[in-house]
Amino acid sequence: MTPLWPVAVITFKEGIRNRAVYGISLFALMMMAVNLLISDMIMQEVGKVSVDIALSSISFLGLLLVLFVGINLLAKDLDKRTIYMVLARPISRGEYIIGKFLGMVLLIVVTMSILCMFAVASIFLVKMRYSGYFPRFSWPMIFLSISFTTLSLILLSALSFLFASFASTSFISLILTIAAYIIGHSMTDVKALVEASQDKVSPVTLKVVQAAYYIFPNLSIFDIKTQAAHDLAIPMSYIFWAVSYGLVYTCIVITIASLIFRKREFP
Amino acid sequence: MIRIEGISKEFKEGIGSKRVKAVEDLTLEVHKGEVFGFLGPNGAGKSTTIKILINLIYPDNGTCSINGKDVRDRETRRHVGYLPENPFFYDYLTAEELLWFGGKASGMSSAAIKERTDQLLTKVNLQAARKRHLRTYSKGMVQRAGLALALVHDPEVAIFDEPMSGLDPIGRKMVGDLIMELKGQGKTVFFSSHILSDIERFCDRVGIIVGGKLRVVDRVDSLLSGGTTLEDIFLEEVEKAGGGATV
Repeated sequence: MTPLWPVAVITFKEGIRNRAVYGISLFALMMMAVNLLISDMIMQEVGKVSVDIALSSISFLGLLLVLFVGINLLAKDLDKRTIYMVLARPISRGEYIIGKFLGMVLLIVVTMSILCMFAVASIFLVKMRYSGYFPRFSWPMIFLSISFTTLSLILLSALSFLFASFASTSFISLILTIAAYIIGHSMTDVKALVEASQDKVSPVTLKVVQAAYYIFPNLSIFDIKTQAAHDLAIPMSYIFWAVSYGLVYTCIVITIASLIFRKREFP
Repeated sequence: MIRIEGISKEFKEGIGSKRVKAVEDLTLEVHKGEVFGFLGPNGAGKSTTIKILINLIYPDNGTCSINGKDVRDRETRRHVGYLPENPFFYDYLTAEELLWFGGKASGMSSAAIKERTDQLLTKVNLQAARKRHLRTYSKGMVQRAGLALALVHDPEVAIFDEPMSGLDPIGRKMVGDLIMELKGQGKTVFFSSHILSDIERFCDRVGIIVGGKLRVVDRVDSLLSGGTTLEDIFLEEVEKAGGGATV
């Protein structure tokens, strides 16, 4: 048996039993109630608002999972030296990172599936009450949007592993991951803005923004909440391109993280 | 057998460039089937040497091998059981899951893990707490769970860093019995300790390390043959090295 599986299993168990996951689930339950309440209050575009609230909540709760459970899972191993119990086995540092990441991927997928059930339930209840407000609505688009959010969280988690592979404290990993998230979601807009006003910005700024655009992951391509709320069609080629981009980027980041980690010592 | 050849290790102290020598040109051999005690005051380099053996840190110079294989080869650790000083484990795992991990990661079958888990948890007196999360364990219980984890894959070489630390007299007796049992099975045991009486009781040979340098390596019976105590020898070596002893 490959040593990756036992590492992934204990990482997943440690993560899913964390109290923060219960908190996130409770929050999701509240989100369902809020969605019903808000739908009662606004009597126009109920369908779009309901889908948007559900998908945005999932996205936010998934982000909390990566930032506060995911980063902690790796950071605690390094801070409290629980990593000794793993590396004392016939497991290399690279395998440790990959196994740990697979456990995190499993945790993200399972938690997102639970959150997805809450979101579907809340949209379903609103749709039952106000079926007239759902003229353009498709469940496949909702599931596609949630799948894209899951992929972006996996990519963000890979980045947090990369930062943890060289950062000395979990706080630095947290700050860098939040920065990557913000940059990843706004870089497309910033690049478009800077390029549109080239005569007003310095060439250095333009180059810096263009370089950042290609270095940082473009997380905005996974954000199709608006399309899902308005049931706008997404071409198959876009789905293929976005999924390939997410998977390739994640693999590259985790490979770099494991290469850096190979040099790391645990005194 | 364990072979350490001329290892040295320096650490950076703080943000400045001041470097501290943790281990200096240490050469040592521990033979197969031997119980070897590694004795030294706090900060002498015992844990650093052990961590180099487990490949948790890399030496600046020198090499280490266990059973003829370089310790940098991960396969070496398939036959090594390691107990760290003050072990920490995952809060939300149970003792049973901890041993499952240790067994699976070492390539054991599920049936073998189950049998060995039953045996070991009975031996370290954790049978009743086997399904409890490790975060609810006392310090002594964590230490005993760590011992079971170190031995789950029936290793040929056991390396324990302060195995008696945090244990009450009953726990210490249990660890002593375990070490003697391993010796009886022909396993090699290498352990560090502050407790001189434990070294005297269990070890065939002892190495005294002070200030990163190995000062004495000899059989315990020959060291004690002239009527001197291990404490006298230990304090003399610390004195010679110009450091204060913390026994």
